[in-house]
Amino acid sequence: MLEISDLVTAYGKIEALKGVSLRAESGRITCLLGPNGAGKTTLMMSIAGILQPQRGAIRLDGVELTGLTPARIVTAGVALVPENRLVFPRMSVRENLLAGAYQRKDKAEVAIDAERMYARFPRLRERREQLAGTLSGGEQQMLAVARALMSRPRVLLMDEPSLGLAPLVVAEIFRIVAELNRDGTTIFLVEQNAHMALQVAHHFFLMEQGRVTFSGTPGQLAEDEVIQRAYLGARRAG
Amino acid sequence: MVDFVQNTLDGVMTGSSYGLLALGFTLIFGVMRRLNLSYGPSIMIGAYLGTLVYVQLSAGPLVVIAVTLLGAVLAGLYVERLCFAPMAAGAGVASMVSSFAIWMQLEQAAVLALPRHTYPFPPLATGAPLNLGPFLLRVDHLIMLTGALALSACVHLLIYRSHFGLGLRAIINNPVAAHLVGINVRAAIVRAFALASAVGGVAGYLVLAVDQQVTPMFGMWATIKGLIAMMIGGLGSIPGAILGGLLLGVIEAHSQWYFGPHIRDLFAYLALFACLALRPGGLLGEALHEPFERGA
Repeated sequence: MLEISDLVTAYGKIEALKGVSLRAESGRITCLLGPNGAGKTTLMMSIAGILQPQRGAIRLDGVELTGLTPARIVTAGVALVPENRLVFPRMSVRENLLAGAYQRKDKAEVAIDAERMYARFPRLRERREQLAGTLSGGEQQMLAVARALMSRPRVLLMDEPSLGLAPLVVAEIFRIVAELNRDGTTIFLVEQNAHMALQVAHHFFLMEQGRVTFSGTPGQLAEDEVIQRAYLGARRAG
Repeated sequence: MVDFVQNTLDGVMTGSSYGLLALGFTLIFGVMRRLNLSYGPSIMIGAYLGTLVYVQLSAGPLVVIAVTLLGAVLAGLYVERLCFAPMAAGAGVASMVSSFAIWMQLEQAAVLALPRHTYPFPPLATGAPLNLGPFLLRVDHLIMLTGALALSACVHLLIYRSHFGLGLRAIINNPVAAHLVGINVRAAIVRAFALASAVGGVAGYLVLAVDQQVTPMFGMWATIKGLIAMMIGGLGSIPGAILGGLLLGVIEAHSQWYFGPHIRDLFAYLALFACLALRPGGLLGEALHEPFERGA
């Protein structure tokens, strides 16, 4: 279980996270909703160790991750698929996957895992020697996911995987998210696309202005009128 | 026509050492997206240590190479520690300005340690030039060319075929993503600095062994040659660095022949200007990415 408690991360004097507490249960898909500027990406970057929180704790199955370098956090079993994918554009698909396994020493196993990725994402196999920068948005998202999986994470963090992708591709991404989860990966997802998230996530958090303002199941989420209005686009009469 | 070919040959030979200097520059620039003006002076420190063991202990060429290389690497790491490690990401100008300050510091250190302006540097080969038809080829120039090509091939293999190189290229491609896949970016940067300084040390040795003397001004000379060659070839590009170096050498050789040594440097700067005006990224350069900002 990934547990965040009372996390404060600031840019200079401006606190983007004002004491965030939430948890992503093992084996589940947890989804974080919230408007732009709520601090979702800041939270993801803080968990991954790119940003240093001022206060609070991040624990994975009781092990403290706060203050570790990004490399240590990857080794501890947390991998982030970042917003906008951030593939290595001038490296081939194959090299992107190898970079994903950078800290692993078991070369033979890495090769087997790369084959698994090609089996899961056949498009990547077709384009394995192509530069990642030449892939379509959807393919880059697949590559970003595959690259993160190459470190064999216990928890996969995904920051807006549907961003800027066509509806069919979004559906494909969410199918893969559900599939990865069935295979045992814990998933903690940031999404603006609440409709898609409702179909796969087991638990929801809502973040607004650096604070968690809602926590509940998909059922509770769908019943909450305020959230419905803001994120599901339901119209109220009158 | 004979002159033209002879000049071109000479230019390629000296240009190969410019290429090595540019290669070191481009490695640091590619990884850090920052300019290290102290790159040449740190090589000069290595060369001074080399001349010291040569003059004081009459050490042989292998020892001089080893000392020059090691000295350049240590001075390079010193610059990294002082000008690059402590600067916040995105503070590229702070790094550049502080590397200028350390340049002055290293130059003064060399002047204070060895107050005579010029010191001898052991030659590579003293034999008569080889005759190749109507053309003359200096043996030390040939060694320089061979050494430069072999070393750049090694660096190319290291960058494109090794695990370390995979990590470096990942950092060059996208530093944030490099952190995210678990690359120890800090350690990789230190190693890249050491590698660049070692390449610079070899380049410095080859150049000085041909000149057979070293002065404190060698630092500035190496920085300028490396910088021009890198910018002509394309920032951050390894083949570009070599190509830029060779081109710079050829341009210098021809302009020296036709217009004399004082006009030579003018043509080097003109070439740089033309390149920046017509192809700002350099011949083989790619569009620069935004500077790395941790957490952006």
